[in-house]
Amino acid sequence: MTKRRMFLRMITASLLRRRSRMLIALLSIGIGATILAGLVTIYVDVPRQMGAQFRSYGANMLLLPKDGETLNSESLADALQAIPEDELVGAAPYRYVRLDMTTRQQSFTAAGTDFEQITKTSPYFSVEGAYPVKTREILVGKEIAEVIGVKAGSSMELTWQPTSSSSDKTPEESRVPGASLSGQAEGFGGGIVYVTAALDDQAHIASLSVDSSTQTPEYGGRIPEDEAFLNQFIGKSLPLALGDSVDALTGATVTSSAVVEALNKATETAVSARPRTLNFQVTGILTTGGEEEGYVFMSLEDLKTMTGSEQVDIAELSVSANAEQLETYVNAITENSGSVRARLVKRVARSEASVLEKLTALVFLVTLVVLLLTMICVSTTMMAVVSERRREIGLRKALGASDSSIRAEFLGEGLFLGLLGGVMGAVLGFAFAQVVSVHVFGSSITFQPLLLPAAIIVSMAIAAASCLLPIKRAVAIDPALVLKGE
Amino acid sequence: MSLLELKNVSKIYGELKALDNVSLHVDQGEWVAIMGPSGSGKSTMMNIIGCMDKPTKGEVLLDGVDISRESSKRLTDIRRDKIGLIFQQFHMVNYLTAVENVMVSQYYHSMPDEKEALEALGRVGLRERARHLPSQLSGGEQQRVCVARALINHPELILADEPTGNLDEANENIVLDLFAQLHKEGTTLIVVTHDPEVAEAAQRTIVLEHGKVAREVINENFGK
Repeated sequence: MTKRRMFLRMITASLLRRRSRMLIALLSIGIGATILAGLVTIYVDVPRQMGAQFRSYGANMLLLPKDGETLNSESLADALQAIPEDELVGAAPYRYVRLDMTTRQQSFTAAGTDFEQITKTSPYFSVEGAYPVKTREILVGKEIAEVIGVKAGSSMELTWQPTSSSSDKTPEESRVPGASLSGQAEGFGGGIVYVTAALDDQAHIASLSVDSSTQTPEYGGRIPEDEAFLNQFIGKSLPLALGDSVDALTGATVTSSAVVEALNKATETAVSARPRTLNFQVTGILTTGGEEEGYVFMSLEDLKTMTGSEQVDIAELSVSANAEQLETYVNAITENSGSVRARLVKRVARSEASVLEKLTALVFLVTLVVLLLTMICVSTTMMAVVSERRREIGLRKALGASDSSIRAEFLGEGLFLGLLGGVMGAVLGFAFAQVVSVHVFGSSITFQPLLLPAAIIVSMAIAAASCLLPIKRAVAIDPALVLKGE
Repeated sequence: MSLLELKNVSKIYGELKALDNVSLHVDQGEWVAIMGPSGSGKSTMMNIIGCMDKPTKGEVLLDGVDISRESSKRLTDIRRDKIGLIFQQFHMVNYLTAVENVMVSQYYHSMPDEKEALEALGRVGLRERARHLPSQLSGGEQQRVCVARALINHPELILADEPTGNLDEANENIVLDLFAQLHKEGTTLIVVTHDPEVAEAAQRTIVLEHGKVAREVINENFGK
């Protein structure tokens, strides 16, 4: 048998055959290691956990148009390139427009957005019903819903009234699907002919009505009742040409021409004065506790249908990064993009950083205290072990054990305890961290494989350090004590 | 040839002269008993001979080496190499088996050798009890394990402190028989005792009183 094997045999025998003592020492190391491993796990996981927590409080970055610029989906997509995909939790565009409710004398702010992104940037939004999934579906803020008495499943008609400021529309927009047209033109004998038409989803004429009461009753005056004449307009797209895409009513060529002219003019000149109305299905009522409850949310696409513009006012971003990185992204976006500037929502970003800092400091402090307590506890236990084993130590010395042998034996026992305590600590500590994480943060954590060796090394180091003083005591024991008949 | 020689050895604790100018010598292979009442200086002498203490004055030659001035580290080495100790209280490591206790002595001396340790236990009649813990052994058995442990490294000198003090007569005889065997094999034995019967088993008895050698008695019946 080698000396090393005998050494191990003595140490294991000492621990295994003196169970009660060993249990106390093991428990003190194990519990210390458990708390430490648990705290370290939480410590490592806290930034992620806190990040997730804070992300649930909403966006931490805004994208806005630079002065004199406008935003749209493309410029936003460009700007988002600056943020790594895995850090970008969500980016919700918003466009705010006043809309009238057709059946009531009421108007609301409508926000065009991307509902899928909203669920990511504003997870705190609470929807009674469901988020819209397709066009012509809207989410109504709780405040509005209470005033007008709608709930999920209701339908409502909303109208966009162009204002003078929206005169920058192009004629193109008259062919926007769903638009309503109205126009007039001079007919036979100087009488005015009025037309109103509605465009369908493909911007084809869906319906047409004509007021030709100024015309000769037997000829042009018959047009409003002549379905054959009116029906030939249905399904056609503007502009039209008489004799080419539509035929004149026999004996009322001038009036027929006035109808076509009025329609064509409506597409060219009446664009900016054209209100557009869409019918919406309410899918849910939104509760946020904030001003959003006074808005109606719809898809950007519907808003574009109504207003003819795909402009975006602002985008809210939720980015999973620390304050420093966020700052970098803000600068990168603002510098690189021609039309977009980025800004941090300081309230969220700052409080995240400061809470994190405080929590980290707290965990660090507690770790330190536990470390110290563990060392005191182990040291005390080892001290008790040494005084309990004074005779044995004296005997060993009398049998010729050198000081270094005594040191090695006690250190060996301490390290062995540290090893067992470390394994125990890593396993129980992870469980402890898991429980804390689930209860405090409501999410589970993944096991860090590095935790096991780290816990073992740290507990062995603690055990060894705790043994220093007891070992000093042990070495000082006088072998002669075994001779006195004590 | 003398194995141990004390020349004018004194050990003084403050006012108290535990040993007062003691001189004696023990020959190689001799079996000597040291007797005396409590406080006569037996323990002090035992500590000094056992390399666990140093005299205040005088010279102690063990196998030609003056151990009165050596460092405690050197004394540990000398004790390990030359002396086998037997104690009144047996002193076994209580969480090690009989054979492991014998091996502890080998471990500090040179190399643990279980076979040899078992043979030593066989010699004291405890081959069957080798795997027992001290708590499972009787006092006599424990002391026999201690004898096995003392002789395992073939020491020049076996130093026994009241080896039969805690034993019944039957076990006392067993231990004395073992000493007789060791003596026959040429081992030097120094036995500190207050039991005249144990002293009579030795060749020579040195009687200490008040830290001085009061008298020496040669046992004329030795070996008979």
